[in-house]
Amino acid sequence: MSTQDTKGRIIKETFPSEVVSIIGDILAGIILTLLILPIFKSFLALILMIPALLSLRGNLSGPFIARTSRDLIIGDFSKRSWIENVLATFALAILTAIFIGILSLILDLFVFKLNILLIIHFFLIPLISITLTLSISIPFSTGLNYLAFIKGLNPNNVVSPIMTAVDDFSTVFCFFLTLIMLGVP
Amino acid sequence: MKYFIKIFKESIIIVILSSLIGLVSGSVLTSNEEILYTLPILLLILPAVNSLIGDMSTILVSRLTTHLYIGTIVPKFKSSKRIREDLIGLLITLLLSLAVLLILAYLIGVLSGVKIVNPFLMIGMISLTVLIIFFMLFLLLFISAIFLFKRGMDPNNFLIPFITSLADFLTPLFLIIFITIFI
Repeated sequence: MSTQDTKGRIIKETFPSEVVSIIGDILAGIILTLLILPIFKSFLALILMIPALLSLRGNLSGPFIARTSRDLIIGDFSKRSWIENVLATFALAILTAIFIGILSLILDLFVFKLNILLIIHFFLIPLISITLTLSISIPFSTGLNYLAFIKGLNPNNVVSPIMTAVDDFSTVFCFFLTLIMLGVP
Repeated sequence: MKYFIKIFKESIIIVILSSLIGLVSGSVLTSNEEILYTLPILLLILPAVNSLIGDMSTILVSRLTTHLYIGTIVPKFKSSKRIREDLIGLLITLLLSLAVLLILAYLIGVLSGVKIVNPFLMIGMISLTVLIIFFMLFLLLFISAIFLFKRGMDPNNFLIPFITSLADFLTPLFLIIFITIFI
């Protein structure tokens, strides 16, 4: 499949997905700027975590999508390989969340000295929001990968840009949901 | 659990490193907030610009990895028709997407009442930033993908986390440099 991709096919398959991605990202940016930041008193502390949480797309979801696409194209896709791929992604997500929590806490305590959030919040906010986001992203991207593959499109070209929009949007949404659930000030 | 262990082992360090880059880029952005506020529309579209570069890099890495696995490119540091097709295809997609992004940014600016200071300079700075980073990353990704593949590693596990974080860091940095120079 990928061997026959001309530049015309790359443009034809990638450009529409990229437009969806741009629109999704602009909307996510507007929601983040208008909904989350002005509502919560702790927004100065939350700002520390947001860039790292948004990088989740590239760190965890992106490689998961690329591995699934490659496995489909080279014929290595199976239930077992998919489950191991999912488990590895969740294991990495939990470690990343703990790492973001520790670093944000250190920055909060020793650099910015804000003292707005409880210590437990620094761990629970990234942990819950990353887990929720992946619970949306993984089934969605797998379905999209499979659909693109059986429709004869190259999943490498189509899935990543669409999932950028879905991931950024769901990251912002799950972040908002987590803050409400934990009663963050 | 071989696949699980391979993914976990190859990814853990780079994922932690990328999160660190993410926190550093957030700090760069925060400490240069005043410079970025000179062009308010820029803050609104910055996530989309980051995503555009990140998406193109991700597609490039996943395509390069697939080519290497199925043998449509040889793991050698030399140009080929396949690589040129990918470069031109992704470059044209990038330019078309950039045009859409700039049009949308202009419409949002007009609708929301956000002041668009010096629109031609803004278009120039954003376009230059996107193109410089795209060519830098293309070269870096091509060399790194072949290097990692030759060592028996999956380039997807290393390069996608690294490159998206690097793009998230470089985009505001280049924009801040251009704003400082031109405005």
